Amino acid sequence: MTTETQTHEEHHDPPYMLIFLVLLVMTLAEVGYAFLPLPKFWLALGLCVMAIWKAVLVALYYMHLRSEPRRLWILVAAPMPLVVILIAAVITEF
Amino acid sequence: MATTVAASGNHVTEAEHHELGFIRTYIFSTDHKMIAKQFLVASLAFLLLGGLLAAVVRWQLGFPGQAIPLIGGLFSETTAPGGIILPEFYNSLVTMHGTFMIFFAIMPLMLGVWGNYLIPLQIGAPDMAFPRLNTFSFWVSIPAGLIMLAGFLAVGGHAGAGWTSYAPLSADPEFSGVYMGQILWLVSLTILGFSSLTGAVNYITTIINMRAPGMTWFRIPLPTWALFVTSWLVLLAIPILTGALIMLLFDQTIGTGFFAPATDGEPLLWQHIFWYFGHPEVYILILPGMGLVSEIIANRSRKPVFGYHSMVVALISIAFLGWIVWGHHMFQSGMNPMLGTSFMISTIIIAVPSAIKVFNWMGTLWRGDLHFDVPMLHSLAFVSMFIIGGLSGIFMASAPVDIPLHDTYFIVAHLHYVLFGGSLFAIFAGITYWFPKMFGRMFGAKLGKAHFWLTFFAYNLVFFPMHSMGLRGHIRRIYDPSQYTFLQSMQPLNTFISLAAFFLIAAQLIFAFNFFWSMFRGEKAAQNPWNSNTLEWALAPTPPPHGNFLVTPQIYRGPYEYSSPESTDDFLPQHLPPDRVQRPPVPREPGFLPTGD
Amino acid sequence: MSSHTPAIQENMMVHDSTFEPGIQVYNMKLGMWVFLLSEVMFFTSLIGTYIILRFAHPDHFAVPGEVLNVPLTAFNTFFLICSSMTMVKAFAAIQKGDQKGLKLWLLATIVIGACFVGIQAIEYAALTHEGFVPMAAKYHALGRTGVEGGAVLGGPLYGATFYTMTGFHGAHVSIGVICLTFVLIRAMRGHYTHSDHRGVELIGLYWHFVDLVWIILFTIVYLI
Repeated sequence: MTTETQTHEEHHDPPYMLIFLVLLVMTLAEVGYAFLPLPKFWLALGLCVMAIWKAVLVALYYMHLRSEPRRLWILVAAPMPLVVILIAAVITEF
Repeated sequence: MATTVAASGNHVTEAEHHELGFIRTYIFSTDHKMIAKQFLVASLAFLLLGGLLAAVVRWQLGFPGQAIPLIGGLFSETTAPGGIILPEFYNSLVTMHGTFMIFFAIMPLMLGVWGNYLIPLQIGAPDMAFPRLNTFSFWVSIPAGLIMLAGFLAVGGHAGAGWTSYAPLSADPEFSGVYMGQILWLVSLTILGFSSLTGAVNYITTIINMRAPGMTWFRIPLPTWALFVTSWLVLLAIPILTGALIMLLFDQTIGTGFFAPATDGEPLLWQHIFWYFGHPEVYILILPGMGLVSEIIANRSRKPVFGYHSMVVALISIAFLGWIVWGHHMFQSGMNPMLGTSFMISTIIIAVPSAIKVFNWMGTLWRGDLHFDVPMLHSLAFVSMFIIGGLSGIFMASAPVDIPLHDTYFIVAHLHYVLFGGSLFAIFAGITYWFPKMFGRMFGAKLGKAHFWLTFFAYNLVFFPMHSMGLRGHIRRIYDPSQYTFLQSMQPLNTFISLAAFFLIAAQLIFAFNFFWSMFRGEKAAQNPWNSNTLEWALAPTPPPHGNFLVTPQIYRGPYEYSSPESTDDFLPQHLPPDRVQRPPVPREPGFLPTGD
Repeated sequence: MSSHTPAIQENMMVHDSTFEPGIQVYNMKLGMWVFLLSEVMFFTSLIGTYIILRFAHPDHFAVPGEVLNVPLTAFNTFFLICSSMTMVKAFAAIQKGDQKGLKLWLLATIVIGACFVGIQAIEYAALTHEGFVPMAAKYHALGRTGVEGGAVLGGPLYGATFYTMTGFHGAHVSIGVICLTFVLIRAMRGHYTHSDHRGVELIGLYWHFVDLVWIILFTIVYLI
């Protein structure tokens, strides 16, 4: 129970509604950004940054990673490079 | 389902034995030890099947086009009419030998048996973190196995595209002639993935969260360390395979074109995704064996593991590096040469942690009080055969060298040196070592030694010549080498290897007999016949009850305090409190006491 | 009503002295996170395939909005994010012991989740009606624009990758809805309390993960 990890500190709920609003606004921003007359590279980069930002927000606040022990963060973050390695390596084929 | 009762707040657990009935005890048990034995029975059966498939393969290679003697008539018209093996059936045999050995024998033996049996016992836990998930993990592997077996009955034959199932050969029945068999292969492995995955989740959670007090990370015995690292590889690599299998299944059934050139699909994509799984997979097959062997060598040398910390770091390094070497299976595929070069470099680098482990095993043996029991013999075979397999790996790591050697018998030699010379000897070592703990009786030593020597001898006769054959250009997975003029000179060697292989497989009967005989008639085992420091031997009863330990252990030291100067005994169990240690008398100096000596 | 061994029950408490300090979260939460890591790898193989094939054959794929219905899916994305919010509200409710809030917010999550799948089914129906299908053969016969003068469909790889990725995501959402229903039924039986509501937290983690994957998928598949 996560309440146990916070017995020694003030129990504040994370700002769920605020995060919700941020996610909504960013979704709208993404859709708008996708149709801007920019070179493909900048479109893709910007959209990826926004998507990852949203994903991190969900992970940190809705999945409570922010209030979990540091060890859990490391455990979760450690395999992420594997995602990049596969895609980056194989793309060099083309 | 709870079979232990703990008084909360203190360290005492009482292992109560509830009457559970036959089904809950033997069929749907949640006890990790029983599940381990279930995996043992199933995987040994598949090991036997894999061996028999190899025997049929070797018959064709040794005696091409000749009818299989004695049992030739048992084969159907579509496989071996009149006992003469058809080329399509040969392809299936080769594919199924690899598939059953890797997925249904070695993996369940390493993880299903040793992962399940050893982890809770060695860390001082009463059971796994998720016992019911554990039951699921075993039982979901059974339909997977049955589906894979069913493929033999499929119209068009079983999958025949190799255990690596390269597309587009495997994706289009027009190329392979196989439809249903390939689908069953894909479905079976997808289901089996759930078995491995749930196992990995269980092992990782248990090792992180359920170690007994005092069992810090660097006091964990090496088998459990190896199983922990391996579980991470399973967790992250198997889903990659699942994705690849699903896409190939869609290519076959729905008609998507992921890997088919006709639809602009990419055959290389299959290879990349498959080997991104496939290379961590081979470390999954060997790392637990390394852990088992480290334990046995230390114990049977009555010496600490040389460089315990570096052994752990080496395990972790191999696991990390193992993710960036996969392209060395693809040097000949036509992939980007720059990418190939990077894989060459990373593959050469990964030899380093493996070499560290080899030197550490040798350092452990050096000047040890060596006991050449059956487990020790198998462990020594592991180290020496792994050295050979590893050395051939260095050759293949170099792309220019690999290009002529790829898909020749040099590769077949390498893979069998690490998988049989490595993994299988480690498994034999583990079974003969932990047999007394599992079954309460000693594994017959005389027959055990006979089996070892015959196996070791025959195995080298089978696989060592294959290095030379590969260097001389003998391709792998071919149906009839005698068709090629440049291979005809090697036909006598092929025949010799086949005869040695039949002998090798027959020698396993000794092991099978000994296994069952010892289980029922073997000498009753003491609690700790190997005088081991680890909890499963030194503390848990033989065989351990539900809940494993009558009292939650408190750990005071690492697992390899053999021949320690602190104790008169040549071993010093992990759980023994410091005040219970039998210390040698302190030597007195002259003039130490007023009375003078 | 625990059917766990007491030793495992004890491990539910973080400050439990029976075991060495591990990751300092209870077993089931660790297990769920570890499982989610494997799901990351699974989606990596599927989404990675899409990205790689897109680099290899850009002509197979369409510009945003050319084939896929961006407004509808943007709405669906908003919907799924809403369900994440309702899920976290359900968790916050039971943290305070609010049983009624738990049940209501869980129900909301289920309804929205089911609607997400429903909208995706409608989207699939519309797309297949236009000729955008996973089978490669259809494209070869029809060419990139389907029937002459008709809508752009892209090449064979587009349909294959699209349906595989979104289909498996949809399957995960569906499984999530089913599990949420079980959790709701248990909540109605009073199974969860303010001191023990692990099941709610666990399904919450899974649900947020499914939302997270969609956030990535939506961007990569619909917007880039």
